[in-house]
Amino acid sequence: MKRRHALSRKTTSLLLALACATLALPSYGADPRQQIITGYEAAAKAAVPDFNGFSADRGKAFFLASPGTGKPETPSCTTCHTADPRTSGKTRAGKPIAPMAVSKQSDRYLEAAKVEKWFRRNCRSVLGRECTAAEKGDFLTFMVTQ
Amino acid sequence: MNERADTSPTDTEAGNPPLRDLPLRVFHWLTVLAVTAALATGFLAPPWWQTVHVIAGYAIGVLLAFRILWGAFGSRFSRFRSFSLTAVGTVRYLRTVARGQAPAFDGHNPAGTWMIVILLALLAGLLISGLILLGGQEKLGPLAAVVDFQTARRFQDLHEIAAWALLGAVALHLLGVAFETLVRKHPVLMAMVTGMKPGWKRPAPDTDRTWTRRGGALAALTLLVLVGAGSALSALPAKGVVPVRFPDTYKAECTDCHALYHPSLRTAAAWKHVMARLDEHYGEDASLSDAARQAITAFLAANSAETFDTEASWRIGRQDTASLRMTDTGYWKRRHRNIEDAAFTDPAVGSKANCTACHKDAETGLFADSEIHPPERDRK
Repeated sequence: MKRRHALSRKTTSLLLALACATLALPSYGADPRQQIITGYEAAAKAAVPDFNGFSADRGKAFFLASPGTGKPETPSCTTCHTADPRTSGKTRAGKPIAPMAVSKQSDRYLEAAKVEKWFRRNCRSVLGRECTAAEKGDFLTFMVTQ
Repeated sequence: MNERADTSPTDTEAGNPPLRDLPLRVFHWLTVLAVTAALATGFLAPPWWQTVHVIAGYAIGVLLAFRILWGAFGSRFSRFRSFSLTAVGTVRYLRTVARGQAPAFDGHNPAGTWMIVILLALLAGLLISGLILLGGQEKLGPLAAVVDFQTARRFQDLHEIAAWALLGAVALHLLGVAFETLVRKHPVLMAMVTGMKPGWKRPAPDTDRTWTRRGGALAALTLLVLVGAGSALSALPAKGVVPVRFPDTYKAECTDCHALYHPSLRTAAAWKHVMARLDEHYGEDASLSDAARQAITAFLAANSAETFDTEASWRIGRQDTASLRMTDTGYWKRRHRNIEDAAFTDPAVGSKANCTACHKDAETGLFADSEIHPPERDRK
């Protein structure tokens, strides 16, 4: 009686461990940054039927542009981030901003919620609207190559 | 009793008293030092010299306490009992001086005696008002536990007026000494240095030593008692200052863009207003998730200016501005008026909103003068 109970517990643990490993398998080794970009890719495809991939060049142009449709205090991304993604920026209140380039700041764009939060805020500030999935993907693709 | 001609120094009693005993002379010159430091730092130095000003003030406190005790227990001419302050005597003395005659005194002439009393009274007034200001405004020192900001505020002008009066009294004192020395040829300055004047019969060495020993013991006791009591009182929690524990959400969300603002810098109403319009946050969209926004609003409103008694909470926090900017309050502008715009755009500062760049204690909400540390201080 006692022994059978112990066995069943062992089996349960084994099954549980297996289940966890299986669940973890798809993300194991996968780049969370790439996952975020993949997510935007799916959204971009859904929004624009003839979408054919992100472009670092378009991302660069987007980053350097001054659309003039947002708040007057923030005419461009470069207002705070500077025109060189590899250098540190500064908030309008005077706080330093770590470089946007992944080569200079390796922990950039690893948390989907954080990425979304800053796209929401900064797109509204600079563009006066939320960014499209295509714009976000181009932007990230550019920053990954920097 | 103490009024007699300078030319008859042989007229001494048994057990001739010291003219100026050593403890009195040491008191005098230490006071000169402390008062000079206090006046210089009070009138001329930038605010971060306040620590020196306060130390000079504490020193004056100990010296003053000693002088009062020495006025009771010191040698004959140090005792207040030997002081003659009658109106009749003073007027008569001044008339004699005006006539060009020169009655001399072993102790102090009536004008000099009045000078001593005025100087000591002004120092006492400055000391007390200074301790009240230190306690109520800076939330430091022995009175921090009992004095609130609004009480202290009433002593601000008094402290300043008394300081100007002291400056005037010191000038009169110096003029008096110069007049005595140069015009009337009474070596009063020498007496304050050596304790003697020509023709004065030096007291027996034993007498001198006794007074010196007694003065030393009294000074040591005064110092010990005041430092002990002062430290104990200073260690008590300051009135109206509650240490704030910043929630992680507040720190994480708000300090990405700006300094960690103390909740006592705005009223609860102003905080709620700011937090309700995060999509229009000083020219940027700073929107948050509802959960984060509500948690932060609750924290700020619960610890707003109304719940603190600090100088910053009264003069900036409670002063709502239409722009909702602390930097638009009258007090902020007044206190920063001598700072050039370039200093705010300096890379080490960044903007007027970056309090912590110079106020090292900004995150406590205290903004003590002694904690102001502009970047150029390091570069000098």
